[in-house]
Amino acid sequence: MSKQNAIQLKGVNKTFDGFRALAYADFTARWGEVHALLGENGAGKSSLMNIVAGLYGPEGGSLFIDDNPVKLRGPKEAAKLGIGMVHQHFKLVTPFTVAENILLNLGHIQTSGLYRERLRRVSDDIRAMADRIGFDIDPDAPIHQLSIAEQQRVEILKVLLAGAKVLILDEPTAVLTEEEAERLLTTVRGFAREGAAVILVTHKMNDVLRYADQVTIMRGGRTITSLRPDSVSVDELVRLTVGESTTNADQPSANRTPGEPYLRVSDLTSTGGRRALNGLDLTLNRGEIYGIAGVGGNGQSELANALMGIPEPVQGEMEIIGEGYLADLDADRRRVLGIASIPADRYGSALAGPLSIADNFALGDIHSGRYGPFWYLKTRAIEADAAEAVRQFDVQGVRSLKQKAALLSGGNAQKLVIAREFSRPPRLVLAHSPSRGLDVKATEAVRERLRAARDDGAAVLLISEDLDEVMAMADRIGVMSAGRIVAEFSQPADRQAIGQAMVNHV
Amino acid sequence: MNRRYTLEVRQQMAWPWQALILTVSLILGLLISGAILVWAGVPAGELLNEFVFLTLFDAQSLKAVLFQASPLIMVGLAGCLAFRAKFWNLGLEGQMIFGAIGATAITMWEIGSPAMRLPLMIIAAMVCGLLWSVAPVLLRLKLQVNEIVSTLMLNYIAINFLLHLMYGAWKDPKDAFPYSPKYESFELLPDLANGLSLSIPIAIGTALLVLWFVGISRGGLYLRFVDKSPQVARAVGVPVARTILLAVLFSGALAGLAGLMVAAGQEGRLTHSFYVGYGFSGILIAFLARNNPIAATCAALLIATLFVAGRSLQVFYQIPFAMVQLIQAVLVICVASSDFFIRHRIRRVQVGD
Repeated sequence: MSKQNAIQLKGVNKTFDGFRALAYADFTARWGEVHALLGENGAGKSSLMNIVAGLYGPEGGSLFIDDNPVKLRGPKEAAKLGIGMVHQHFKLVTPFTVAENILLNLGHIQTSGLYRERLRRVSDDIRAMADRIGFDIDPDAPIHQLSIAEQQRVEILKVLLAGAKVLILDEPTAVLTEEEAERLLTTVRGFAREGAAVILVTHKMNDVLRYADQVTIMRGGRTITSLRPDSVSVDELVRLTVGESTTNADQPSANRTPGEPYLRVSDLTSTGGRRALNGLDLTLNRGEIYGIAGVGGNGQSELANALMGIPEPVQGEMEIIGEGYLADLDADRRRVLGIASIPADRYGSALAGPLSIADNFALGDIHSGRYGPFWYLKTRAIEADAAEAVRQFDVQGVRSLKQKAALLSGGNAQKLVIAREFSRPPRLVLAHSPSRGLDVKATEAVRERLRAARDDGAAVLLISEDLDEVMAMADRIGVMSAGRIVAEFSQPADRQAIGQAMVNHV
Repeated sequence: MNRRYTLEVRQQMAWPWQALILTVSLILGLLISGAILVWAGVPAGELLNEFVFLTLFDAQSLKAVLFQASPLIMVGLAGCLAFRAKFWNLGLEGQMIFGAIGATAITMWEIGSPAMRLPLMIIAAMVCGLLWSVAPVLLRLKLQVNEIVSTLMLNYIAINFLLHLMYGAWKDPKDAFPYSPKYESFELLPDLANGLSLSIPIAIGTALLVLWFVGISRGGLYLRFVDKSPQVARAVGVPVARTILLAVLFSGALAGLAGLMVAAGQEGRLTHSFYVGYGFSGILIAFLARNNPIAATCAALLIATLFVAGRSLQVFYQIPFAMVQLIQAVLVICVASSDFFIRHRIRRVQVGD
């Protein structure tokens, strides 16, 4: 069977506010293949795919679908031509049910009939499609009751039912555990085998190596090359993506002597309806990184919230030994003690996007009076400290300290968060998925900071759904399942055993 | 070559451009208002004369504008503060009324020596305005009661309580109208040497104070977080509830002071003159100014000019005063629409064939 081109882009440009996101990018995906689009954060992958999906209009260049030149006037038109995109940040109306969300997207197909009738038909279609591709989804479940992985399945069902033959998945595995990712990628490879075109936007080398038939590599808004992943070595792929070789992280040493216990959590239990946390016990020592591994949705977010002081209904004790209970500490006391929080949701709970870098940075040490009394802010002192931190923590893309934090890319935003949280020497570091969505270099920079804090005697808690990250970073590993720590491992830990503990208790 | 227009969301726009767009939209609004006035019977040639020359270049009228502007500046600033805390204080009018009632209480009960009378009235006005905003802000913070409803309803209570006093206990027995007795001369906001009321420097000083608070105090930084990202604010250790409380109480106190400016600066007694809608003009001014204290001062001057010019139009051309409110509305719609151009960029793209 000769493979025809499903999607072809030639010489596409796109600028945002003077920033060149795409420069003469070319891209071709054929029917029947899983095509990976690989690149670091900010390489232009999402922009390119948003053009295919009709969300952005290209500036110059041309787009062909099925070898016919087309001009898309919007995402609806793209959907009519069989293009469906699952975005990294899901576009679901959370209080609505699965069926309602999917019906909302079928405007161009289902237009006749009473609403109830259409909803029923859609529910039947959902069940049929879900059965066929092995998804377990209840059409009547409200979106907010679903886990991230389930929401992603809803997004996929949504575009499939809208008649997508070209399926674009933007960073689909970023939010998934290893097992979930494997399941998903196996399923989408099935679609490709049935003749569809699947485009996988990713920065994970493993996804590319294991599931892609073809890979296009992007860097700095340009498409560098397109090749078969098995035709080159991994090192070569990394080199093409990053543009230079990166150093490998060394494994944590086995013979590290942990310090005194610093944080003791006992019998932490959710008081809300769902027992997301269910009698969790854990002790964290000074001078160690304690990694919490586990399948997503086993109470990690709730634990992180409770520890970071983000409102979360829990009972039980979280004691900083010698200082008191975490729940009794207000913001300034937490800062004085050197508690650094790096939440998973950067723009939801760490940085105010519309505010300046200086403003966001200032909060790190504002309570101490270093930046003046309540009625006067020493703006110069803030800017001097912020400038120093930006330099020290290598936050890139800062044209001015007055620029909005939202203009920073993911990795640089994370570096800014860490710079702020570490503006006083940290004694307790709480990090939740600190390298989620970051590229290789930024990830390494973030990890290096956490290791440095540990080496300076801080107690570091690393909650991550990425087992590789936990394995590479943690001195001790706790496996979280159904709201508690079910097993603990010391380094060198057996990956297989940890994986077993993660799934056995689900 | 095929051309078409696309719309893009802007990340950030330099402030001179924002100011330009705002100015253009205001001019457009004034042109539309001018057209409406011409249609209503004002000779086109006289418009510029009425509005610009006779109002702003005549010393007497200019004083009237400044005089009219000071309570408007105060309520406008009060609006800016509350709205920055994401607290939709629609109760500025009620807080003004209670400010005026508080000041009048001092005069009725003759508290303090004549020299101390006016300072006491100022304090009483601020405290009463503040107290009238305590209930809605606490209800909102403790029980999540919607402040739009609670502040609005409290306005009606305030107005009816004012009427109760005017027709009852505080009615001037020497007057047929429901007014309080006239203030003593030392209970009035005095004129400065050149005939300008003291309320003008107070208003400008307050604008600078508010600018200080929102611009270069720690409270202002907290307020920016509460305004732009309340969820982040809570997570990163901004004392959200305390910040909202502070901003709203500050707002209430300023509205109370505005009430004093109307009573002790303009009327010389307590009347029901608040019916002209000062409170709502305050909301409008804060909106026109995008909660910026300096812009609010300018917007208040603009609205005051409208008030003064509107009154002369009323006298000379029998144009109803409602026309002034219509013009206000046109300006607001124009400025609100200009927001679109600040948030978006229209680009012409060439799609090559």
